[in-house]
Parts: sequence; C-alpha cells; structure tokens
Amino acid sequence: MTKEVSLEVDLGPLHLKNPIMPASGTFDIRCTLLNQKELNRLGAILPKSIAFQEREGNPGPRICETDCGLLNAVGVPSKGVEYFIKEELPLLKKANNTIIVSLMGNSIPDFCNLAGYLNENKEISALEINLSCPNLNNGILFGVNQDKLYELIFNIKKNTSKPIIAKLSPNVSDIREMALTAKNAGAQIITVANTLMGMAIDVDKQVFRLGNTMGGLSGPAIRPIVVRMIWEIAQSVDIPIIGVGGVYCAENAIEMLLAGASAVQIGSANFFNPHVMLEVIEGIEKYLIKKKYNSIQDIIGLMKN
Amino acid sequence: MKIENINIPLMISGNLIENINLNDNYYRMRIKAPQIARKAKPGQFVMLSMWKNKDPFLKRPFSFYGIESDSGTFDILYKEIGKGTQIMAKSKAGDLVELIGPLGNGFKIPENTNNIAVVARGIGIAALMPLILESKKRGIAIYAFLSAQTGNLLLCSNEINSISEKVFYTTDDGSKGAKGMVTNFLQNVLKEEVIDVVYVCGSKRLTKHIRNLQRKYNFLAFVSLEEHMACGIGACKGCVHKTNDGYKRVCKEGPIFPVEEVIFDD
Ligand SMILES: Cc1cc2nc3c(=O)[nH]c(=O)nc-3n(C[C@H](O)[C@H](O)[C@H](O)COP(=O)(O)OP(=O)(O)OC[C@H]3O[C@@H](n4cnc5c(N)ncnc54)[C@H](O)[C@@H]3O)c2cc1C
Ligand SMILES: Cc1cc2nc3c(=O)[nH]c(=O)nc-3n(C[C@H](O)[C@H](O)[C@H](O)COP(=O)(O)O)c2cc1C
Ligand code: FES
Repeated sequence: MTKEVSLEVDLGPLHLKNPIMPASGTFDIRCTLLNQKELNRLGAILPKSIAFQEREGNPGPRICETDCGLLNAVGVPSKGVEYFIKEELPLLKKANNTIIVSLMGNSIPDFCNLAGYLNENKEISALEINLSCPNLNNGILFGVNQDKLYELIFNIKKNTSKPIIAKLSPNVSDIREMALTAKNAGAQIITVANTLMGMAIDVDKQVFRLGNTMGGLSGPAIRPIVVRMIWEIAQSVDIPIIGVGGVYCAENAIEMLLAGASAVQIGSANFFNPHVMLEVIEGIEKYLIKKKYNSIQDIIGLMKN
Repeated sequence: MKIENINIPLMISGNLIENINLNDNYYRMRIKAPQIARKAKPGQFVMLSMWKNKDPFLKRPFSFYGIESDSGTFDILYKEIGKGTQIMAKSKAGDLVELIGPLGNGFKIPENTNNIAVVARGIGIAALMPLILESKKRGIAIYAFLSAQTGNLLLCSNEINSISEKVFYTTDDGSKGAKGMVTNFLQNVLKEEVIDVVYVCGSKRLTKHIRNLQRKYNFLAFVSLEEHMACGIGACKGCVHKTNDGYKRVCKEGPIFPVEEVIFDD
C-alpha cells in the first residue's frame, strides 16, 4: 500500500509510527501468531506486566466469558525481571523498536526496585505502571487511592529516566482526579483503563465462577465506559492518553481517537482474532484516506464539548 | 535464544462439510481445512468459532476426533451444552468455520509400546479416538474402558469394538455394561497382565483412580485436561491447571499431562 497518510503519533516523550499496540497481558511474544514483519508493523509492543520476583498468579478458574466480554482473574504470574531480560527482551527487541514494559509490584519499594533495575536497558522506550495492583500493606489498589497513587508514581520517577505511563484503574468515582494526580506526580502519559472489577456465580453449582472470587471485566462490554473516561480526561487534564477497553475493529479505535486518545491498545480482541491489531491499523488508514485527512493527528480529540 | 514454539499454529477459515446429530445432543462435524488437517496430531485441538458480531466473544476449544490428512479434513465430536455449541449444532454444510490450530502438545506413544489402555467418560472419547487409530496402525493392542451416563451415550462403541482387543463398559443407570467405576475393570486386567500406557479423558474421578492404580501397578499414564480458555495459544495465562511443578497452561504445556504431575484440589 502506498503511504498517503501519516499514522504517526506523539505522546509527549514517546513517538510512535502508528497508534496501535497490544494491551498488557493479552499478548506474548513467545507464542504469537504474528510473524516478524507483522510484529514490526505495530506502533509498539507491550508484554504482560512483570514483577521483580517470580510469582505464580491466581488459582483457576481464571477465565469466565460474559455477555460481550470476559472476566479474568489471572493475577500476574511472572517469571521475574531477570528471566524477562534474558529470555523475553531479546525477542521483543527483534520484533519492534518501540518496547513498553508494564510493571507490577505490591509495595512502593517493590515498584521502585523494578523500575531502577530496568533503567539501564536502552531497548525499553517507556514504563507502564499497572496501578491495578493491590498494595501489600492494606490490600487496596494503588489506582483507587489518590495519595498512594501520587506517592507511587513520584517515587518511581526518582528511580528511572524513562517516560512513565500510568495505567489507571477505572474502578473509581472520578477518573479525572486520578489522571490529574498521576500527572502531578510526574507521569507523562496515562493509559485509560484497566479492567472493571466484576463477579460471576454459577447458580447451578452455587460457586463463584472464578478461583479468585472476583475478576476484571474486559471486552466490548466496557468500551462505552472507557470512551467516556477518555473524553472526560481529555476535556480537563493536559496529558497524552492511551485508550484501552473493548476495541475489536478500526471503528472502535477511531472512536477513542476522536474522544481524545493519542494511541489505542487492543486486548481481549486478540483472543478471538490474533490478526486484529493489523486489521485495525489498516482500517484507520482507510478511514483517514476516505475522510481526506493527511494525518491521524487531525482527528485526535476532535470531539469537544 | 530459545524459541518455544517452532510449530506455529495457523489461523485460517475452514469449510463445514457435514454436521450430523448422532443422538441426543451429541454431534459430529467434518471440517475442510487442509493446512490444519495435515499438521494435526492425536491429542491436539483447535480453537473454533462459527459466529459473527463477537457473540459469543471467545472461540471454543475442541479436540481432533478424526484426522484425514489426505482429504484435508478433520472431525470434531461435540456435545451441545451452551451458547457456542448451540450455534454449532444449527450450522450447515458450506458454513465458514474460523480456526486456530493445531494447538497443544498431543499424545506421546512411547517407543516399544505393546499395549495401551484408553479410559474415557462420555465425550472424553473424542480426544482419544485418533490415538486409538494411530495405535492400531502401529500394531499396538488396545484395551478400551468406556463409561457414560446411559448406554446410548457410549459413543463410537462399534468402531472401538472392531479395533480393540477388549472393550469394557459401565453406565450410571446400568443400561449397558455394568454399573460403577470402569477403572475397576482396568484393575482386574492389571492383575493379570502388564499394560504399558494408560490414557484417560473426560473425568476427574477416573483420573484420580488411575493415579491410585498407577502407584500400585507402575505404568505410564497420561490425561487430557480441560480448562476454560481465552486465547488457546499460550498468551493469556488463563487456562492453568495445578501441577507438581506449579501452574501449567493446559493449551500450551498440555492438554496432555502425565497423570502423576497433575494435582486435583478436591
Ligand atoms: C483442550 C480441550 C478440548 C476439548 N474437546 C472437546 C471435544 O472434543 N468435544 C466437546 O464436546 N467438548 C470439548 N471440550 C469442551 C468444549 O470446549 C466446551 O464444551 C465448549 O467450549 C462449550 O461451549 P459453549 O459455548 O457451548 O458452552 P458455554 O457454557 O456457554 O461456554 C461458556 C464458556 O465456558 C467455556 N467452557 C464451557 N465448558 C467448558 C469445558 N468443558 N472446557 C473448557 N471450556 C469450557 C466455553 O469455552 C466458554 O468460554 C474441550 C475443551 C478443551 C479445553
Ligand atoms: C487475560 C488478561 C490479562 C491481563 N493482564 C494484565 C496485566 O498483566 N497488566 C495490565 O496492566 N493489564 C492486564 N490486563 C488488562 C488489559 O491490558 C486491558 O486493560 C483490559 O483487558 C481492557 O482492554 P480490552 O477490553 O481490549 O481487553 C489483562 C486483561 C486480560 C483479559
Ligand atoms: S488459553 Fe490463553 S494461555 Fe491457555
């Protein structure tokens, strides 16, 4: 295809050749159906959250399909940061030149150690902070408490020179406050949002459908909520936004761009269609050509009050 | 650098050749998808969808029940239970089937195997059928132990009868064969002769019983496990089962596991 339009986007310090990348936890470089050329077409590559030390994740069942989406209670199984650097990072490096690494931790020092450890790795373009992690001290998610969120991002910043992306939890009453807090603490970009907490019960057996009792809802069911959150933040906080939640086609991604997102992650839709990210990139390009835009920048945040 | 999966699965569309209601809510579907049929091995599976508009949202896992690499087709034996299988049950020849596969590790038949026992409950026979045929081809003697709720749900019994050394049945209602645990028959056989490998699918209870027999009679044993799956390719970490070596992905490290590795909580 001859390139007639530019899909390049700028998210503060982060420049991407196009706005599409996988959502953390839904893509694994060690078992993807995409070949090297296809992987290189993505705007960035973003593996599952990693922890400093090995951890095994939640007991099963971890997955429960729901209407227009799914609940997951995978937890964050991780082989630890050393394994990541030795075994995964080299594969990521070969696949794409923009690598964003998602971090999980269960205390502020835990996150800081991890960020510090990765700081020397030149291949890593930015760090995404998974704020939907419970704080070991009180069990409350960093992403739902403004003070903790501030303290966490502020301290991580002291341990790294890489751009920080705060991945917000949508399980809050006012997402704008969280976005503003993340920005004030030093985050240069925000991702909106992680999964919405949910639950499902098997009424026949009278048991919870997930081993962990509760889980995170993802998929098309949550998309309107995320689009609203992106738009609310875009109207009130001056920070680049990565939208994520329920995108399964170009139209869905364009909706987020119009609402104010500068980039879009695709998660659960990869399960149904492992080629979806490539299809979305092509679809956005076609849309821009059809609507006679020269650049994707022209449609970002077009929807105003 | 280690690349975990040299055999990358394919994502392709197949064509539904036929879809037959066997009895009650059991069906057999034949799908033409030469690239997958040529690579498929006994014990592996496909992720399948025949629905648009992302409803249901996920693909469904099904074992290969028959593999015909020459004609480029494979069969699935399935039970209609919910949203996805209801759509499958209504589908007609000519319909498109979206597929990812072949997936999973598949059965191992160790060299110098003289005889095997297959133990299946209900639809569990689906995964074991290609193994039975492959064993037959290699001249391995087959002992089949089949169990179901009722006699008419003892699937493929004629075919299995014709190629097995011995077949034992149990049904919950006693309508065919005996009542009770089919593995009791296995125990009787084990008292008399050596069985090299036992394969089981379709029942946690039978698998646990085989584990107990294994301790006593010391044979190789493999189980085909099922867990809810989102991706089927190893990416989401959603389909794990507890093993002696931590959680393992049923879609990637499995679905076939040595019986002694698997831990059942209850
Ligand atoms: C490796 C593997 C091989 C399988 N092979 C066969 C086969 O050959 N024949 C056959 O009839 N069935 C097989 N199953 C089970 C089959 O996948 C389910 O019966 C099917 O997914 C049910 O879908 P549904 O929409 O009709 O049911 P619903 O209950 O509406 O499904 C809801 C969700 O639960 C999941 N689910 C429900 N039951 C199971 C189950 N037993 N195992 C895994 N996920 C489940 C579905 O995939 C879906 O995500 C296999 C499962 C696995 C994991
Ligand atoms: C199986 C699964 C695992 C996930 N793991 C992570 C994770 O490790 N870290 C994280 O920040 N988000 C994780 N997420 C959340 C996704 O990145 C994404 O925010 C969410 O699924 C919404 O997007 P979607 O509707 O496109 O899936 C996970 C989601 C799923 C479905
Ligand atoms: S189903 Fe996703 S890892 Fe097994």
